[in-house]
Amino acid sequence: MNVRAQIGTMFHLDKCIGCHTCSLACKNIWTDRRGTEYMWWNNVETKPGTGYPCQWEDQEKFRGGWEKHNGSIRLKSTGKARIVTNIFHNPHMPSMDDYYEPWTYDYQHLFNAPEGPDQPTARPISMVTGEHIDVESGPNWDDDLGGSPVYAEHDPNLAGLSEEQRRQLFSVEQLVFFYLPRICNHCLNPACVASCPSGALYKRGEDGIVLVDQKRCRAWRSCIAACPYKKVFFNWHTGKSEKCILCYPRLETGQAPACFHSCVGRIRYLGVLLYDAERIADAANLPTEQLIDAQREMILDPHDSHVIENALKNGISDAVIEAAQDSPVYKFVKVWKIALPPHIEFRTLPMLFYVPPMAPVMAQRRDGALDSVSDNLFHDIEQARVPLKFLANLLGAGQEGKVLYALRKQKAVRWYRRALTVGDVDLETARRMLRDADCTEHEAQAIYELTSLCTVEQRFVIPPMLREQAIESLKDPHEQKQNAGFGFLSGPRRGL
Amino acid sequence: MLGIVLAAAFATSARGQETAAYFKANCASCHTIGGGRLAGPDLKDVTRRKDREWLKSFILNPQAKITAGDPYALQLLEEARGVVMPQVAGLTPDRVDFVLDLIEAESALEESQFKGQQISMAPFTPADVTRGMALFTGRDIPSAGAPPCFSCHSIPGIGGLGGGFAGPDLTLVFERLGGRPALSAWLQAPATPMMQSLLRNAPLAPDEIHALTALFEDRAKHGAPVQAGVAQLTFSLLGLGVAALALVLFDVIWKGRFRAVRRSLVEASKL
Repeated sequence: MNVRAQIGTMFHLDKCIGCHTCSLACKNIWTDRRGTEYMWWNNVETKPGTGYPCQWEDQEKFRGGWEKHNGSIRLKSTGKARIVTNIFHNPHMPSMDDYYEPWTYDYQHLFNAPEGPDQPTARPISMVTGEHIDVESGPNWDDDLGGSPVYAEHDPNLAGLSEEQRRQLFSVEQLVFFYLPRICNHCLNPACVASCPSGALYKRGEDGIVLVDQKRCRAWRSCIAACPYKKVFFNWHTGKSEKCILCYPRLETGQAPACFHSCVGRIRYLGVLLYDAERIADAANLPTEQLIDAQREMILDPHDSHVIENALKNGISDAVIEAAQDSPVYKFVKVWKIALPPHIEFRTLPMLFYVPPMAPVMAQRRDGALDSVSDNLFHDIEQARVPLKFLANLLGAGQEGKVLYALRKQKAVRWYRRALTVGDVDLETARRMLRDADCTEHEAQAIYELTSLCTVEQRFVIPPMLREQAIESLKDPHEQKQNAGFGFLSGPRRGL
Repeated sequence: MLGIVLAAAFATSARGQETAAYFKANCASCHTIGGGRLAGPDLKDVTRRKDREWLKSFILNPQAKITAGDPYALQLLEEARGVVMPQVAGLTPDRVDFVLDLIEAESALEESQFKGQQISMAPFTPADVTRGMALFTGRDIPSAGAPPCFSCHSIPGIGGLGGGFAGPDLTLVFERLGGRPALSAWLQAPATPMMQSLLRNAPLAPDEIHALTALFEDRAKHGAPVQAGVAQLTFSLLGLGVAALALVLFDVIWKGRFRAVRRSLVEASKL
């Protein structure tokens, strides 16, 4: 057993209102620089929708992630031999048009325009070329466009849905959509790290944050093709790749990452997960339908004395283990099993989990009025406007079972709380639902509290990052101080 | 008698042998000793025609002498139909002395080794011209393996694209070099560094020289020089055409390559 610590994250999609506050918080801190205008390390997508960059989930187009090959797994985009023919150009990358051409407005014109018969307007200007452009797309261009025949209809997650389901999903009165906020998943088996020819990407040993070394990056852009979530971006100004850093400077000072901290719906949870690094290779190689369970297996119980012993042996400090025991992510993922990894079939073992959203049920006409009250307790989950298959494609590696389990448990908790607080439903029925959903009353109460009443301290259990100790494992600080002098600080730029 | 002895002594000495080799490589393409005029005059007894000082300064820098308006130099220029003797690489005043010594010694002999190749004066036949054309275009490879002429040169009758344009057009070379003996001698021991380096290790055989001379004589009589501009334009256009064709081919081969994602969705929805 090789116990390591990872900052795990969880987004509760049932609470997301799609306000994009997270995206703006991130943008203002990290990607307002030249060359990063088009980047959104955090973005919020409407589902069904094609997302950002357009159709990022379609790995037949973008070739991200891993694929099974001769009993093992290999990168879908590149390899030691396969890179030779594409050494100067990686053909499977999103173009700027697939992201969007960033723009601002010519505000000065509002003040400087010569007098004329019409009101002056602020025309959009490309932030890349500085020319006037016609805006054709944006990072959330399909925002709230649930029924859009251009964007929503081409969501790769619609694969396997029947014609009837598709028709319902796009008919006007039954239209439905939900939001999917996305950041880097800081995967356990990151394809971006594996693909980098320069070894510039690395996963921090002490907390699992995946970073790009700006000094070693040589602009091969293999990471951009290899990341199936398209969360590594190329800075066209510095010629280096950049990605979400999980605000590690904030984490190291005990603050939650900006997108977490600013979240209006309080949908974001963050906490340490202990996992067994020995099992990564085997887990990533399992058949698709076993991946979710295998990843849950890898995440270890921080209360288990055997795990604690091995963690201490690996240099994980008591404080981090304590944080892992309080981790809300651990509870949602491993104990309650209602948080699921996105597209684990890409085999990168993402460490960002999503609680699937409850959707409105299909309304039925009764006496000339639309009625959505159902007598069949769980039945309407299958009848929800968002087909279960769609959620399963997104969060369940195509299997409805795992998603159904999470939704049933959530619904049972709701029903139980409704019986307790509102009292318009029968408590016995609610208890029966809990039993059917594999949930105790105690657990239901805990889920309810951590979902609805959670405080900042409960949502973000940030471990002490102990950077001074992490550095000591690499070099002696005293020696470093005596040898290094003042050193140099310079920004990343093109070239070696 | 004394002359013969001297010549023998000079020829057998080490310096004499070296000078002879130098003469062969650098002078023999235009000059003979007792073999008649080639591009340049026969050098037999040249040291009696003009004094050594004059000869030395002329050999070291022929153009300067001409520019200075020396009457004898101008006379030579006229005899050579305006072809100025090139400045020969590796000449030093000492070496000029040795060369003049060699010429003096060789002139004393009854038959100098630099009398020049006995060029066949057999009349040219159409078959010779055909053979010459085959050699020129590389259909026949010269026996010693010299590269075909048309990699760098052009003459009429080898197709619309002409030959190479790296070397001069050879349509009128027969007249330019002053006829059959001079051209033959030139082909045997060319005077330019480029041709020297090409033919040094792959000299042309006498029958090949015969055939090429026949070709050049024929072309000088009948052909007009290839229009370099037209041929080059044809060549460029052909190149562009082939490049465009190659692009079309690549496009067909990689038809399923990755293209824009979003734009294709939007365009498909407009249909």
